[in-house]
Amino acid sequence: MREGWSGFAYIVTNLARFIRPGEVTFSGVNSTPAMLACLAAKRAYDFDFVYINVAGGVQPAPSRIPISSSDPVLAEGSTAIFANEDFYDLCTRGGMDLCFLGAAQVDGLGRTNVSSIGDWHNPKVRLPGGGGGAVMLPTARRAVTWRTEHSKRTMVEKLDFVTAAGGMHGVVTPIAVFVKRDGRLALQSWHPEASLDEVRARTGFEFDAAGATPTTLPTTREVEALRSLDPEGQFERDAKVSLR
Amino acid sequence: MSTSKIMTLSEMVELVPDGASLALGGSFLHRGPFAFVRELIRQSREGLEIVKQSPGYDIDILCRAGCVARARAGIVAMEGNFGLAPWYRRAVEKKEIVLEEHACATLTAGLRAAAYGVPFQPVGGVHGSDLPALNRWASITDPYGSGKDVWVIPAIQPDIAVIHANEVNELGDARVYGTFNWDRIMSRAAKKVFVVAEKLASVASFRERPELTLIPGFMVQAVAVVPNGAWPGSCWPLYEVDYPAVEDYMNTESSLEAHMARAPEIAEPAHA
Repeated sequence: MREGWSGFAYIVTNLARFIRPGEVTFSGVNSTPAMLACLAAKRAYDFDFVYINVAGGVQPAPSRIPISSSDPVLAEGSTAIFANEDFYDLCTRGGMDLCFLGAAQVDGLGRTNVSSIGDWHNPKVRLPGGGGGAVMLPTARRAVTWRTEHSKRTMVEKLDFVTAAGGMHGVVTPIAVFVKRDGRLALQSWHPEASLDEVRARTGFEFDAAGATPTTLPTTREVEALRSLDPEGQFERDAKVSLR
Repeated sequence: MSTSKIMTLSEMVELVPDGASLALGGSFLHRGPFAFVRELIRQSREGLEIVKQSPGYDIDILCRAGCVARARAGIVAMEGNFGLAPWYRRAVEKKEIVLEEHACATLTAGLRAAAYGVPFQPVGGVHGSDLPALNRWASITDPYGSGKDVWVIPAIQPDIAVIHANEVNELGDARVYGTFNWDRIMSRAAKKVFVVAEKLASVASFRERPELTLIPGFMVQAVAVVPNGAWPGSCWPLYEVDYPAVEDYMNTESSLEAHMARAPEIAEPAHA
């Protein structure tokens, strides 16, 4: 690759690749990579999908790309405001095809912890908390998360607290893409500059890697879509994602 | 025959007793009743319960000032590039406040129970989470025989919902532009509703387009007009987040007093 594939661009692009034609796809609060993935998919892929977001946006056309993934500008150009109660209810009744959700820890079943590091009652770190996960992860048709750090403290054998169960359909890190297979996360592909051995060494849970390959390099359109959203590289710098 | 509900921000906050349960509108750095929150600090309120699906700056600054006893919240963060809410985090870790951790939708379910006038409310999902055991939530089997189990959340009735609106009239009718987040259900669940608004509009303008009113005035007890009152957050479409001001707030070498002194409500008559 000419400039290498940064961990940040790897996450955003591989999140975008989970988006499918015609589906209702959601990005929420505290979710800059997912917001960028949804906006990039609109520019990189020929198919249409229904993008809704936590700012109430329905197929929005924002005039700028906000730092905050809940910024009201993400509803600019919408034909409707689909507010918080509405998108949660849509999800619990089975109408959310793909839901992007954040996580601090992920286990081999694709469950997540966003509540505390250490015991909940005596936390080493009090994390943001429940958010969308406990309700959306078990009820969305597919949920996908990302971690900007791939390590045994983020990809864990045992969660400090099970905030949300139900199981992620997909997990993207700076070096790997996992998908759910037979109820557990299985490796789908790894960053071309990493290796299967490295992914195993940096993952706290056991996983199946049958059929896994290096991740397909980004297409010109995928590269251009992300560049058009982040022309100055500000999101890339702010995210501070490194492969190692 | 009508009596204006308009008062100053300080008069509004004088109506809030220590220990009150407050539902705060908006989400993270967007359209929160932040001028109201800062006035709580100026008036040294204590023992407050904060109810909000996605608090951030509001709960953080109240924890920083020692005003909070209890939080019932879904996700708490400063968001953007700011990460965790540092003073809130410290207050929970040091057990200075009691946290009832929710998913956003379970908190909404509790508010819905209060709004519907029933003791509890079913909520979708939650299966497999440790949250029900933590909060002693019950699960019930569908009494109509589907065999499905559903988690039920007890009613959450805040004393006061405080909403930052774009426009209000003297009767208390309020409009919000852009997403109204969870403000509607908060306003229906709480015993009282206070509205802080960017702008006073005529009653006649509300009569022309009543379907744009989010909160009808008969449910509202107090109104204050505070331009830029959601600072340092955004209020669509009037202003964006003041990121340098939030950075300054997050800077531990910068004092709370210095931040409070920069707040736009200082220029209002109540503080003249």
